[in-house]
Amino acid sequence: MAEQVKKRIWERLFKWCKSLAGLTVIATVVIALLATIDRGGYVLVNTIITGGMTALVAMGLALTLGVLNIPMFAHGEYFMIGTLTAYYVFTPISTYVNTHPESALVFWGPLITVVAAMIVGALAGVISEVLVFSQLRKRSRENWVMNSFLLTVGLSVVLINAHQLFFGADFKGITRYWAGMPITVMDVYISRDRAMAFVLAAVVVAAFWFFMTYTRTGRAIRAVAQDETGALIVGIGLNGILLLTMSLSCALAAIAGAGLLFMYPSYPSVGLEPLYMAWFVVILAGLGNVLGAVMGAFMVALLKVLTIEYIGSGWDFVVPSALIIVILIFKPSGIFGSEVRGVLDK
Amino acid sequence: MLLEVKNLNAGYGFLQILRDVSLTVDTGEYVCLVGPNGAGKSTTLKTIAGLVSPMSGEILFNGEPIGSLPGNKVARKGISFVSEEMNLFVNMTVQENLAMGAYTLKDKKLQKDRLDFVYDLFPRLVERRNQLAGTMSGGERKMLAIGRGLMPNPKLLLVDEPSFGLAPLLTENVFQSLDTLVSQGVTIMVVEQNVTKTLAVTDRGYVLENGRIGLSGKSSDLACDAHVRKVFLGV
Repeated sequence: MAEQVKKRIWERLFKWCKSLAGLTVIATVVIALLATIDRGGYVLVNTIITGGMTALVAMGLALTLGVLNIPMFAHGEYFMIGTLTAYYVFTPISTYVNTHPESALVFWGPLITVVAAMIVGALAGVISEVLVFSQLRKRSRENWVMNSFLLTVGLSVVLINAHQLFFGADFKGITRYWAGMPITVMDVYISRDRAMAFVLAAVVVAAFWFFMTYTRTGRAIRAVAQDETGALIVGIGLNGILLLTMSLSCALAAIAGAGLLFMYPSYPSVGLEPLYMAWFVVILAGLGNVLGAVMGAFMVALLKVLTIEYIGSGWDFVVPSALIIVILIFKPSGIFGSEVRGVLDK
Repeated sequence: MLLEVKNLNAGYGFLQILRDVSLTVDTGEYVCLVGPNGAGKSTTLKTIAGLVSPMSGEILFNGEPIGSLPGNKVARKGISFVSEEMNLFVNMTVQENLAMGAYTLKDKKLQKDRLDFVYDLFPRLVERRNQLAGTMSGGERKMLAIGRGLMPNPKLLLVDEPSFGLAPLLTENVFQSLDTLVSQGVTIMVVEQNVTKTLAVTDRGYVLENGRIGLSGKSSDLACDAHVRKVFLGV
C-alpha cells in the first residue's frame, strides 16, 4: 500500500516535471543558482525578497481576476493606500520610540503599522466594491470585462489625484522600521527591514494559501471563481463572496505597501511600479491562477534582478515586457494556465 | 403539496419562454417534464431553482413563496438543482466538489453521513475521490453532479437532462441511480428529451410545448396518448 502511494507520488512528480510549469520552475531554479555562483549570493537574496513582496500584490490581482472577473488596473492604488496609512501610523510611533527607546513599541510598532494598513486596505476594498463595482454589476452584464476595466482605470486616476489633493505630491517616507545591524546571510548584508519584509510576505502567503485551501469560506471563493452558477446552486451567496474577495485582495496590496514603505516612500503614483510587476506576474502565471502567481512572482523578480545585474538597471522593465509579449503570442493562457478544462466549459 | 407552480411566466430579457406554466410535485413523487427542443423545459427548472427570475406567477415550496429568491437562498430551502452543464468545480477534486455540495450543512457528522450515502450510491466516485472533476468522463461527471446535489439532503431534486451527452449504457446507469433514490424516498423532478425512457420510469409527467403545458397525467397514460406518440415517438 505504502509503496503504491510512493510510486504514484513519483509518477505525478515526474509528469509535473515534464509539463511546461515544471520545466519553467526547474529552469528558474537552475538559472538562479548559476547566477548566484557567477555573481555572488546577493542575487539570490535580492530575488527572494523582491519576489516575496511582488507575490503579495500579484496574488491579490490574480484573485480579483479569477473571482470577480475584473482586470484590475487600480490595484497599485491600494498599495499606495497601504504606504500612506503606514506612513501616518508609523511616524508618530517612531518619534515616540526615539524618546522612549525601551518601550515595547520598538518591536510592536512595525507590526501595528502593517495591521493598520491591512485594515484600511480591506476597508478601501469594501468601499470600492459597494460604491463602484457592485453598482456596475447591477447595471451591466454584457461587456463586463471591458466596462470594469475602464472603471478601474478611472478609479486609479481618482485615487492618485485624491492623494495629491489631500496629502500633497511630496515623498512621505521613513528611514527604517527596525533599528539594528544588518543580518549576514551567505556573505551578503541584508538590512533588517528587508529581511522582515520577506518574513512578512512568507507568513501572509502561507496564511492566505491555508485559508484558500482548507477553510469553508476559502473553498467558497475558489468555487465562485471556477463556476458562478455552480456556486449559487450549492447555496453560496455571491454578493458576500465578491465583497470579501475584493477586500482580501486590496488588503494584500496594502500589506505589501506597508511592508515596503522603507523602500517606496508614499507619493501619489507609487503604485504604478508594483502594478506593472503584478501584471507581468499574472500574465506569466495565467490569469486568475492564485498559486501560480506566487511562483510567477519569484520568476519575474529573478528576471528583473538578472537584467539589472547583466544588462543594466534601465532595462529592468524592458526585458520582462519583451518576455510577456512572447508569452502572449505563444502561450496566451500563461505558463501555469490550467490545462484541466471541462468539456462543456467555455 | 411540496412544490406548486402557478401561472408562471419567465424568460431571458425581453424574450419570454414560459407562458402560464402551472404544475405541482408532491412529496415522494417522481415527476418528469418532457417536450421538444426549445419548449422551455430547462427554463422551467432554472426558474424554480432561482437562476432565472420569473416575470409573473407564483412558485410555492412547502407553501412558502420562493419566486423572488436568488439561487443560493432557494438552495438553502432544500431544492437541489443538477443542471444540464453540471456546473462542477472543474479544478477541485471529487471529494472537494462533494464537500462544496454540503456547503449549507453546518453539522460535521451530517456531512460525513451524506458523503457516505453518496459514495454508497456511486461507488465509482470513491475510486476517483482525489481526481480533479475536470478530468473525468461525461458519465462520471453526471454522477458527481447528482452526488453533489444530494449532499445537502434536499427535499426536492431537480435534474436537467440526465442523459445529455451520455452513452446509452451510462444513461441506463444514471436512470437506475435515480430509481434507487426514489425508492429511498427522495422527491425528484426530471427534465428529459429521451421521452420513451423517461415516461417508462416516472410516475407522472407534464408535456411542455412552446412554453405551455400541453398535457399532463400519469406517465403510463401519456406514453399511450395519441398526440404524444405522434409528436415525440414518431409512431
